[in-house]
Amino acid sequence: MKSVDLIKPYFIENRFIIVFGILCLTVVDFLQLVIPRVIKWAVDDLTALRVDGRNLIVYALYIVGIAIMMALLRYVWRRCLIGTSRRVEEGLRNTLFGHIQTLSASYFQKAKTGDLMAHATNDIQHIRMATGMGIVALTDAVVLGTAAIGFMAYINITLTLYVLIPMPLIVFGTRVFTRKMHCLYQQVQASFADLTEVVRERFAGIRIIKAYNRERDATDRLETISRDYVGKNLGLVKITGSFFPMMMLFSNLSLAIVLFLGGRQTIYTTITTGDFVAFISYLGLLTWPMMAMGWVVNLIQRGTASLDRINKILETRPEINDIPDAVSIKAVRDTVVFENVIFSYEPDTSPVLTGINLTVKHGHTLGIVGPPGSGKTTLLSLIPRIFDISQGRILIDNIDIRDMQISDLRSQISFMPQEPFLFAGTIRENIAFENRQADTTILMKAADDANLTTTIQSFPNEFETVVGEKGVILSGGQKQRIALARALLRETPILILDDPVSQVDMETGSSIINTIRAVAGQRTVFIVSHRISAVQHADTIIVLNNGRIVESGTHEELLEQNRYYAQTFHLQEIEEGYNGN
Amino acid sequence: MATNAIYFEEEQLGNSYDVKMLKWLYPLTKPYRALLAGSIFLVVLITLLDLAVPYVTKIAIDRYIVPQSESVEKTYNAVGKHKIRYLTVNITDPHIRAIVGRYQHLFTLEGKTALIPYTDLPKLERNDIVVLRRADIAGIAFIAAIFLALIVANFFFNFVQVMIMEYTGQMIMHDLRVRLFDHIQKLSVAFFTRNPVGRLVTRVTNDTQNMHELFTSIVAFVFKDVFLVIGITIVLLTINWKLTLISFMVLPVVLVLSIHFSVKARDVYRILRVKIAEINTRFSETIGGIKVIQLFRQEQANYNGFESLNHENYTAGMIQIHIYAIFMPIIELLSAVALAVVIFYGGRRVLADSISLGALVAFISYMRMFFRPLRDIAEKYNIMQNALASAERIYLIFNTEEADQEPVDGSKSERSDLQRIQDIVMEDVSFSYVEDEIVLKHISFHVKAGETIAFVGPTGSGKTTVVNLLTRFYEPQSGRILINGRDITTIETRLLRSRMALVTQDPFLFSGTIRENIISGNGDFSDEALNRILEASNCKSMIDRLPNGVDTELSEGGASISSGERQLISIARAFARDPDLIILDEATSYIDSETELKIQEALGNLMKDRTSIIVAHRLSTARTASRILVLHRHRIIEEGTHGELMERKGFYFKLQQLQN
Repeated sequence: MKSVDLIKPYFIENRFIIVFGILCLTVVDFLQLVIPRVIKWAVDDLTALRVDGRNLIVYALYIVGIAIMMALLRYVWRRCLIGTSRRVEEGLRNTLFGHIQTLSASYFQKAKTGDLMAHATNDIQHIRMATGMGIVALTDAVVLGTAAIGFMAYINITLTLYVLIPMPLIVFGTRVFTRKMHCLYQQVQASFADLTEVVRERFAGIRIIKAYNRERDATDRLETISRDYVGKNLGLVKITGSFFPMMMLFSNLSLAIVLFLGGRQTIYTTITTGDFVAFISYLGLLTWPMMAMGWVVNLIQRGTASLDRINKILETRPEINDIPDAVSIKAVRDTVVFENVIFSYEPDTSPVLTGINLTVKHGHTLGIVGPPGSGKTTLLSLIPRIFDISQGRILIDNIDIRDMQISDLRSQISFMPQEPFLFAGTIRENIAFENRQADTTILMKAADDANLTTTIQSFPNEFETVVGEKGVILSGGQKQRIALARALLRETPILILDDPVSQVDMETGSSIINTIRAVAGQRTVFIVSHRISAVQHADTIIVLNNGRIVESGTHEELLEQNRYYAQTFHLQEIEEGYNGN
Repeated sequence: MATNAIYFEEEQLGNSYDVKMLKWLYPLTKPYRALLAGSIFLVVLITLLDLAVPYVTKIAIDRYIVPQSESVEKTYNAVGKHKIRYLTVNITDPHIRAIVGRYQHLFTLEGKTALIPYTDLPKLERNDIVVLRRADIAGIAFIAAIFLALIVANFFFNFVQVMIMEYTGQMIMHDLRVRLFDHIQKLSVAFFTRNPVGRLVTRVTNDTQNMHELFTSIVAFVFKDVFLVIGITIVLLTINWKLTLISFMVLPVVLVLSIHFSVKARDVYRILRVKIAEINTRFSETIGGIKVIQLFRQEQANYNGFESLNHENYTAGMIQIHIYAIFMPIIELLSAVALAVVIFYGGRRVLADSISLGALVAFISYMRMFFRPLRDIAEKYNIMQNALASAERIYLIFNTEEADQEPVDGSKSERSDLQRIQDIVMEDVSFSYVEDEIVLKHISFHVKAGETIAFVGPTGSGKTTVVNLLTRFYEPQSGRILINGRDITTIETRLLRSRMALVTQDPFLFSGTIRENIISGNGDFSDEALNRILEASNCKSMIDRLPNGVDTELSEGGASISSGERQLISIARAFARDPDLIILDEATSYIDSETELKIQEALGNLMKDRTSIIVAHRLSTARTASRILVLHRHRIIEEGTHGELMERKGFYFKLQQLQN
């Protein structure tokens, strides 16, 4: 898709409004040129002393009349043209947001959140500026510029040509300068980002700073980075500070030419005094279109660049998608099977999981343990197709999950990720989501199962407590239990828990493990945990190491094998056990 | 919730604050007063030059193009109705006399001068005009040269002025930023708990930046635009005061409209800012929680929420367009009305000969210049409001009375002296972070040099709070803490902290090299000494694996090393302090067993021959302690060695059993 196609629909949808707006703008521009004409007539008449009060009032009324028309038309074009750009902004942002939601997890591993945010705000703003002020400035520049030049040429062609000498300098200068400015501006931004990071890091680690008496160091570091920022700013100002005065210089240069040559011609009576004065007025009108020309070119360049970037995101197809004849599934009631599954994040990198063969019967629990980085979380994320496997098959009820409709597949699964993610809404919204009217008894039960009831009751607003961005008001353990309640609320046949008790204390942990044991039997459970006590009751336990299943069996069988599982168990037993001295 | 906070913060600002804020800011300019004065001087100069530009045109017209001489006063009725403007020439010059002789029918002789109506000039040969008006033509060249000089000077002064102003503004902000940062980091930890880091960062970065804009826009506005407006008024008044007053009749309307508009524009601008902030939050939340959204199939619901938010932004944007679309054209209209008045009234004055034509032309130019600054007032008002809001937020932080507590009594020499920590006593200490939510109740204990004390107990029982009191991050509400028998409040905080090392749950490392992280703030270290530390803290083998060794840069988030390894570096950092007292807030999350063993070993080395206070989340850690204090519901309920507590079959015993 071409980038322009992104904004085309908005132009087509609003074509009458846009055309009307441009028309109004053009009329305003012409009317604007008439006023110097009126002044010229008045001055000429005054020079020749051939007017009386009556004629003057006519001139005055002309000016007021024209001004009223201009005011009305100006209102119209502003609404039409700039309004359309707001519409483009809104539409593009919606499209971008909607699209981002469809992208696969692998995309977000590569893309930086900061970059995506920049697209959502800066790039869309650039496009808005280009489609709004860009069109206005372009129309203005073309209409006003040609008309002003036309009128001047009508008065005196030679003089006009002389006057136009500095004009290309203005257009060229604007372009060169704005480009340079853009480049320097990015340096300023980068320095600002560094500054922000230095400050953020020091405030985040304030306890360490205080405990280790590092205040002096911290201030020195800030001072250095702040000076760098000041330096970058001054570099930018060297350009911006000379830009406008220089443009003024160029345009005043034209004025000097008019004074010298035009003044002489007036004396020679080649042009009238009124012509001379009008010439000066037209020159004033011409300065802005000339500067606008340079500005508009940059505006549009930036807008197109932004549009290209947005288009690139929109062209990214989700890697995980429904196949054309995806099967619709209603309810899972049978086994989950991994057949020779191999998985790597990138095609040419070494696999994270190799030769995984598993059969988990309906209602059974699979416990997964293993050292960090052994592939536990990855294995879990293959089931709801957060990632697609590279080789082999995963079958649920004998259907390859890649043949299923993704939304059907995911509706069969409740997933509790390792990092609990909370949204800025209330506790109820975080647990029940769209189910706003979720039966309070169900909600209470889920909260109870996740050992949350006491915590929730300690908040004045209970379930309606707003948790803040990413659940900022809650402790790690509380967030984890909310994420657990969210997974438990939905009575799906498959329940996936990634380290559900890592951030809660022993007491709470034991109670959560009891809950999980209670649902096992009715639901197929996949559970990863560092704590053996969380997996030891599973029907089957596997141990992963370097992406392979190295041990498999029941708790008792694995203890007998006396390998990683048994060692970890004993280690934790010693740690946790009492009387073990 | 966050957006409400933004809105609230912006709402606080009343007009009465403005003056107060400016008064508060003024002393900041002190080191740069000379530069400022220079900048203001240049602004005045530039304004004068700006004003001179139309005046030069006026002179060109009045003196050389359509000279006004005595003879004009003597114009008489030639055709019957119309007055006629004459050019006067001196016929003592033989060349001129020759020309006058050739066009005798056009000239009227008056003594040594000849008069010719301007309307008849085109009937002359061009060469003849050149001769007749030689002086005028030379004058035009002269005027053009002066003009050229003026505009070049204008350019130069403008540039210098902007550079001086920017430098001054940036430096003032730099000073303010450093001062603010230093002030914030000296505030108590309680302050940091209440204020999210993001907000504090904004104060130091964005808010100071906004103040810079306040500074530059005030100088630009007050000294440039106001001078310009005043200057133009003076020039207009000197040209013709009656005409000036009459054309200024529109000004009250302009003034009222500008104020009205400024307020409206500010309000909608604020709404737009809040909306954009909300959109950004929504975007980042969606990206952060994308897995949850997709797994729980919340795409549609989330999209709908976003769409309505986005539409609110659109609506606010349309309101802004509406406001500008009304204001801008109306100001233009009023400026046209003023122009019409000048043409009508001024034109009659020209006819009545009380104003020269050049003056009228200059008047028209000045009127146009006059309205330009007025049009930008609203925009500058916005910037100023925004900046003053920032100034106020910074002001509030500077006036926070929450500095780290310093000694309340004790002589200077006593304060700056602390022997090796021999014993630590907590005497009947009670504490709460928030009123009515007690965290510690009547806690008393005694730690002697060389002991290892472990605190155990369920989450929320107050274990970490004990650490916060010992490090003086917080002050107890009642009771005392004694170090070597001296009340902790009589010891300089810096000194106290230099005797202890805190190892926290989250091993917070700064971006920078590993070396910087370990030794910074602890004085100089020889390579040998550093090596010993690395070995004792079990960091050696890990750091040797890194290509740059101890000089490896730790990037944001420190992706290159694992969390267990970070923990090891933080232990090395504690070693580098060579403290008397180790305060360890044990990590809760599980690290793989191998690294875990290394950490335990390193901690063992660290605690050897030192006094340690451990917040134990795992009972296995507690077991090795010389004494265990069991906290439950904000009190110490059991105390003793592992063996003693197991025998008691109390709370500790039950905790142990739970884990089996």
